[in-house]
Amino acid sequence: MNNQTKSQFVAVASITSELSAVMVVAKEISLAAANAKAIAFRAGDKAKGFQPITDFINELAKETIELVTDINVYALLLYRLTVNEYRRTSAYNRFEAAAKLAENAAYGASMQGPVDVAKGRMQDCQRQFKRDVTHLLSQLEAVMHHARAARVIAANSRIEASQAGEYLQSLQAVAESVDKAAHTIHDNVQRCRVALSIYRSN
Amino acid sequence: MKMTKIYEGSHQWIMFGRDPNKPANIIDSNQYVVRTTNRCLLMDPGGTELFAPMMAAVLHHAPVEQITDLFASHQDPDVISSLGLWDQALTNAKLHAPAIWEGFLRHYGCESIEYVPIPDHGGSIKLDSLELQLIPAHYLHSSGNFHVYDPQAKILMSGDVGAALEAPDAPVFVDNFDAHIDKMRYFHQRWMPSNQAKRAWIERVRKLDIEILAPQHGRMFKGDDVKRFLDWFDALQVGIAV
Ligand SMILES: [Fe+2]
Ligand SMILES: [Fe+2]
Repeated sequence: MNNQTKSQFVAVASITSELSAVMVVAKEISLAAANAKAIAFRAGDKAKGFQPITDFINELAKETIELVTDINVYALLLYRLTVNEYRRTSAYNRFEAAAKLAENAAYGASMQGPVDVAKGRMQDCQRQFKRDVTHLLSQLEAVMHHARAARVIAANSRIEASQAGEYLQSLQAVAESVDKAAHTIHDNVQRCRVALSIYRSN
Repeated sequence: MKMTKIYEGSHQWIMFGRDPNKPANIIDSNQYVVRTTNRCLLMDPGGTELFAPMMAAVLHHAPVEQITDLFASHQDPDVISSLGLWDQALTNAKLHAPAIWEGFLRHYGCESIEYVPIPDHGGSIKLDSLELQLIPAHYLHSSGNFHVYDPQAKILMSGDVGAALEAPDAPVFVDNFDAHIDKMRYFHQRWMPSNQAKRAWIERVRKLDIEILAPQHGRMFKGDDVKRFLDWFDALQVGIAV
């Protein structure tokens, strides 16, 4: 296996691992949202501005979880495609080697057919991989977008929390954890994108 | 890859092996080909590393589209880990292999090749007008294991039975049986698990008229050396690791 293939395997496998971390964090956000909702409810009027925010955070977490679930299915397909591409590339290389060794063989020319077919299949796989990577990158971009939105909301939450009197601290803690979680998601997804971006089609 | 014609009649048997370009750390193996008018059977076609030299060697005898049949005596990687490559190169081929190994062998990739499962009691392979017999050799050394017998050429392709660990440039036939024993004793004692299976096989094979015994490793046995081998193997205690 050459280095290019190895790093392709690693890049694709790393998506799944980065995303499983994203999933954990997204669930944390959804928990934080439920928590915030309970506090805001108790705080009543003092946390009026906070209530719609909690719904929004919850919605965002749910969407992120759905997106990541989708991406995971897609990442598995991409992994299979990588395996396929590896198989087809190595078949093509070995067919070429056989054709070369058989240059002087009575039936050496009959190897040209399999060589051409193998080459076509390998190139199909490479093209498909590039297309799929491009699509995956746009899905990852959507997750990043959600993470950025979550950070904006966290900032708003902090402002709203400051009006909440004795609930200030607990609401601020909620804002804090949403911010942290969004930050983690952003970083993880960014790493996936960097790992994949060299394979995208132009 | 060295090629040796071992039978020439209405069909041919060719032995391939002693590949000088084989990586040193993989076991040397013999591949056998039966060529009839329109078809070509590859027996124990070998490991992945051997695919290109083996394909190139076969192309001296048949065009790709006439490689119609593969046979795997058992599931070992030195026997058939090249399957995934043959599968992509051949458009109209069958793999004859033990039924019990089907789910295992498919891990190598077997999508376009048709897997023809050999039942435990054996069967046959028909190539044009030639019919080859599939002789059960279970537990020698694999739990699902077959040998190929050609009653016309009087050749028994015997898989790992009769195998010897040899120098890469060793001659293809045994020329001094007594001297050869040392090269095959440990292999049979250690790889063959069952004295009972060995006895059953010897009993069956003694009834066949064999001119050449053709193992997957080492040298072939010819004429009287076939009987010498059967007597020697009969007396050998196998399964020594327990
Ligand atoms: Fe074996
Ligand atoms: Fe073997």
